[in-house]
Amino acid sequence: MHHAYIDKFAYQDSAIHRLDSRVKFIVVLIFTAVVISLPRTSVSILACYAIGPFTILVWAKIPLRFVFKQILLVSPFVLVLALSCPLYDKTPYTIAFGPFLWQSSVGWMRCFTILGKFIVTMLALIALVSTTRFSDLLTGLQRLGLPGILVIQLGFLYRYIFVLIDRAHHILRARAGRKLRNLGFKTELKTAASMLGSLLVRSIDTAEHINIAMQARGFDGKWRTLSKLQIRRCDLLFVLIAASFILGLYIFVRPILQ
Amino acid sequence: MSKAIEIENFTYVYPDGTAALSDITLSVEPGQKLVLIGPNGAGKSTLLLAMAGFIKGTGKVLVDGLEINRKNLKKIRTCLGSCLENPDDQLFMPTLFDDVAFGPLNMGLAPEQVKKRVADALQTVGLAEMADKAPHHLSAGQKRAAAIATILAMRPKIITLDEPDGSLDPRNRKNLVKLLRFLPQTLIIATCNMNFAAALADRAVLLDEGRIVADGDAKKIMSDFELMTKHGLEVSIK
Repeated sequence: MHHAYIDKFAYQDSAIHRLDSRVKFIVVLIFTAVVISLPRTSVSILACYAIGPFTILVWAKIPLRFVFKQILLVSPFVLVLALSCPLYDKTPYTIAFGPFLWQSSVGWMRCFTILGKFIVTMLALIALVSTTRFSDLLTGLQRLGLPGILVIQLGFLYRYIFVLIDRAHHILRARAGRKLRNLGFKTELKTAASMLGSLLVRSIDTAEHINIAMQARGFDGKWRTLSKLQIRRCDLLFVLIAASFILGLYIFVRPILQ
Repeated sequence: MSKAIEIENFTYVYPDGTAALSDITLSVEPGQKLVLIGPNGAGKSTLLLAMAGFIKGTGKVLVDGLEINRKNLKKIRTCLGSCLENPDDQLFMPTLFDDVAFGPLNMGLAPEQVKKRVADALQTVGLAEMADKAPHHLSAGQKRAAAIATILAMRPKIITLDEPDGSLDPRNRKNLVKLLRFLPQTLIIATCNMNFAAALADRAVLLDEGRIVADGDAKKIMSDFELMTKHGLEVSIK
């Protein structure tokens, strides 16, 4: 079965794709921390910050439709949080844009800030995973000092989540093929529980087989990989540009827009 | 020269009391291509697990002259490569390169040697261009070949394969036969597919209900209609 992988564009080739995964990860981490720490009423500066990841996505030829689809997929959780803000904080707030003035409330400002921060940080995150192969990201995280056990867990999660989805689809299909009438809530619940149980048992079975496969190839608890990562001049240049962009906006532009 | 595999009076009982293997005595010569045939539940996979030291029973199991025990286990796993039935269980790393390199790295080889072994193994199975692919991007036939490459990279003397022809179309099965037939290693293959077994092996061991029922020339055993039918199998067409 073919799935929509989160890193399906990471196998393309561009200057951004070729950057070291550690550099990209650290830049995205700092970028996210700065964007999140912006004051709750700084909506316009968020638009400026969005230029960074947006430029990277366009440069790396990541289809914007895919980007917005990914954002929409995770947006319901944030939407609930953001849209609840205007309900409980109705303190008046005046928005100024050049000669124009609007009356609003702090709640609405907070709502737009949450949505803005969510979109900008998601753009950065999507830019990272769409231009970095998951395996390179894992190697990068390991080289940055993430404990081996966490790297193994993340690797297995990425490798087997699709196998699990496939199995779930097969079970659902098997049920659909034989479910010829409405079974009622109680029976449906019982069937769902059995299906989940079957999935769990098969997952345990798979885990045991993987353990055998790992031991058969000499696994002794230590995670060894051949790291192909190397910091080059272009990586340093990327860090310099990213730092100038993030700090420049924070130090020079933010005070003007507030 | 020591035998590739030597098993003497090996018995294994499942924790629920079911006898999986009873009094198995078997020896395999180096370089031999042997197929373990038998109906479902005959004990073929369990016997392969016993050869690799994954299950402990009563009796003696020697691999390349080494008795299976905790002290010898690392050496045994270096000279005996096990390929599991489901390639998805065998391929657990994020990329094919990392997966094939997993064994050689655990053997403590230098990075350059590991790279050479990975390249050679992938070349042998015809996946040289796929090194950077994630296993879930491979087809069933490619996954099977990749699973074999993970073993070949460790350059073992003995390779055990559990139902390697499962879920393969005729073309991929043909390619697999071609690949396995020319491997210089001792091969022990568990399968229910008699045509696949006949195309590969010079010796067949028929297992049923955890016991060895017949052991001898592959073609002779697999063309014995009465014997095969009695044990729920079919004769090979070729």
